Amino acid sequence: MPPEAGGITADAATFKAMEAGSAQRKRGRPRPEIGHLAPLILSSGVGLLLCAVANALSRATLTPAMPFYWAGILLLAVPIFYRLTSEQASARERLTLVCTLGLGLYLVKVFRDAPLFTFSDELIHAFNANQIADHNHLFRDNPILTATPYYPGLEGAASALMKLTGVSAYGAGLVLIGAARLVLVASLFLLFQRVSGSARIAGLGVAIYAGNFNFLYWGAQFSYESLSLPLLLLVMMALAEREAAPRQALRTWGAPVVLAMMAIVVTHHLTSYAVAGLLVGLSLAYWYVRRTWAPPNPWPFAIFGILLAAFWLFVAASATVGYLSPVLSDAFAAIGNTIGGSDEPRGLFQGGGSSVAPTPLLARAVALAAVVALAAGLPFGLRVLWHRYRRQPFALLFGLAAVAFFATLVLRLAPAAWETANRASEFLFIGLAFVLACACVEALRHWSRDRRTRPLIAATIGLVLVGGAISGWPWDSQLARPLRASAAAGTISSPPLALAQWAEGLPGGRFAASTADAGLLLDPGGKMAIAGRSPDVEDILDEEALAGWMVPLLRRNNIRYVAVDRREVSSDSLRGYYFSRRDRDEALRPPSVSAKFNEIPGVARVYTNGPITVFDLGAPR
Amino acid sequence: MRGHGDLEAAVGAAALCALLTLVLPFEPLRMLLAAPLTLFLPGYAITAAIFARNRIERSRFLLFSVGLSLAVLALGALVLNYGPGGIRAWSWALLLFLVVLGCCRGAALRRPRGAGAPLSWSPPRVSGGQAALVAGGGLAAIAAIVLAFTPLAATNATGFTEMWIQPLPGDKGVRLGIGSAERDDSSYRLVVNFGGAREVTRRIELEPGQRQVLALGESAAASSLVPVPVTATLFKEDGPEPDQPFRQVSTWLGPTEDAG
Repeated sequence: MPPEAGGITADAATFKAMEAGSAQRKRGRPRPEIGHLAPLILSSGVGLLLCAVANALSRATLTPAMPFYWAGILLLAVPIFYRLTSEQASARERLTLVCTLGLGLYLVKVFRDAPLFTFSDELIHAFNANQIADHNHLFRDNPILTATPYYPGLEGAASALMKLTGVSAYGAGLVLIGAARLVLVASLFLLFQRVSGSARIAGLGVAIYAGNFNFLYWGAQFSYESLSLPLLLLVMMALAEREAAPRQALRTWGAPVVLAMMAIVVTHHLTSYAVAGLLVGLSLAYWYVRRTWAPPNPWPFAIFGILLAAFWLFVAASATVGYLSPVLSDAFAAIGNTIGGSDEPRGLFQGGGSSVAPTPLLARAVALAAVVALAAGLPFGLRVLWHRYRRQPFALLFGLAAVAFFATLVLRLAPAAWETANRASEFLFIGLAFVLACACVEALRHWSRDRRTRPLIAATIGLVLVGGAISGWPWDSQLARPLRASAAAGTISSPPLALAQWAEGLPGGRFAASTADAGLLLDPGGKMAIAGRSPDVEDILDEEALAGWMVPLLRRNNIRYVAVDRREVSSDSLRGYYFSRRDRDEALRPPSVSAKFNEIPGVARVYTNGPITVFDLGAPR
Repeated sequence: MRGHGDLEAAVGAAALCALLTLVLPFEPLRMLLAAPLTLFLPGYAITAAIFARNRIERSRFLLFSVGLSLAVLALGALVLNYGPGGIRAWSWALLLFLVVLGCCRGAALRRPRGAGAPLSWSPPRVSGGQAALVAGGGLAAIAAIVLAFTPLAATNATGFTEMWIQPLPGDKGVRLGIGSAERDDSSYRLVVNFGGAREVTRRIELEPGQRQVLALGESAAASSLVPVPVTATLFKEDGPEPDQPFRQVSTWLGPTEDAG
């Protein structure tokens, strides 16, 4: 193992020598230098400021904001990428740089939404966190995603900060996910460093990983996977360290692995299955390479992971079966239907439906160029992997994951398989990032005298970052929209947020509402709100006439308030929360979708703000 | 723990943070104290206990300190859920302190005598120019955060007026709220009809972002034997159609009947 790999555990025999070295360092070691960090911190800060300005312009409904935004992201990231290509940077500097990158890109997401959560999953998890804080116990109901309260790791952790400090779920979530982001990038760096023996590959690997489709937005939200994925990487890092540890220290490394695995199992279903799958794959890779099941083969951890995930699924979180099985079965059916020709393939860049402006051609070209760049680097990376690391079980697993990533790209063409492919890509990209970092470092070695090599590689990783952000998040939703705005006498809120703020003052009562309104009614409204098709609230809200089954269904589900939103965008969990704009036409449902509720005897029309009207069915008179 | 300065410091810091977060009144200050208690010290103590004999590099130690603290938080809520009182501020403070205390004690017992702290830090050498660059980057980041959290005037956002109604306790009248999220100052005429028997009219002027809540009494409704419908209609006098109802809400006062 080259010295730059670092992190080697010392047994008792070497302990004295380490201590002697430590004493010597204290006496005479020169203080560390910050190298190129200073200008890079400045460029990151200015990049962040540009992103904040772009979001501010967008919130103020002023254009053009997009150029500032992309310039900010590139200014934040590309100088770091360039430095990571350098041979001179120390491992410590590289680790600091990837932490700066991870935290900086996390802040880009924070700037988009501050000071409220606006991702649909965030609203669900914030509601769960508030329920825990309000009732002092876990496993309270969630009306929209029933499986989430049974994986309370994230919300439980948030409750610690909420209870101890009095901050809101938003404040607690911001801090927690920020810490989780640091764990993610640092674990990835140290994992890659240990497997490759090269801090340069490790730094570039993390830089490439930042280009995965979900890194910038989806993976940075206050959602259970944003905590469980960093813990998964911590497990992987600890296992890689365990492999390199002396035999007598193997048990020591087992302790953090077990602790982190337990935390994953109570935090997120899919990640707990991914850990189990990963450990099975790793055990087989160990066996393939070394033909032995003896330590450090991690098969006992694989068994432990399977048993733990199965125990939690069947004993504590059986609702997950009903939640995940339709998603997975639909995905498999969609693959079959798309291959068989009975379903049309899903078009690319069509996340927003027909009412949303299409992604510009240039942006599509960048996204596709990023995928082409990833694919172009794959064979070279696999070649390096095979030549240098084929005796490394982790590296073999990374190679397989890299190939599998491209298989998931094909799945994105099947409409119902898109989500499954999208989720899987976040895990598989770990392997791809490692393989491509190997290719980058090989290119840097091969063309070390060519001055164009380093800028070209840094620019290509920049392309992957921007392309990944475009592929992973709709173009029209990259920047903030006005949710709150300053006004002469204070701050005004968008119609659905105003509804939620009004509802917050109500003593109780369940709501039926369209998707976006229901999300804000959960948080910050703090109300039980149901939406969607099960029960069929969607049709009750959308139909123009009152059918006989509607009121009984509402009564059966203990719905007291029906919030009718005439804005068609209210069904959109990404775009439905904001002010509409005077300079753009807004599609409205006919007035009868709201007026039909006036026919219910004894109903009260208790709230209206124009597009949204709330009917009170409760306390019938 | 005597002789292990880092472990003593960790336990002392955990005790201090736990105590102060419980008693201090200011949210930001409590967050400053809770951050090490929740996000660093438990992981530090656990890592110190696990790797008391097999030392690991500083970067890995730091990573485990944060990562295992997150794991403790995720699992800690589960432990507290079944404990007396459930998940409360004091129970979190106690649990985290006990984790730090227990693990530091374990680390002290396992750590070889005379072993130094696993984390040492010497400040990096920074020239004046480098310090200026770092300060510039920091200031830019702070400015970005402040800008992101500052509400701005959304020039092209469509304004609206909200209105709500709620019976007063004992059905002795109604509470009516009107809030303006319009782009300009607005003037309204409010007409409230109590079952056709009485009508109340009010003129209201609101600036953007201003709200007004009115309590309108109707003593007859409380003693009425039949439900009394109350309808409040708002006219926007400076709007394009000042005589057309702009917003309307309604409720009922009096006895409850079976309906719907």
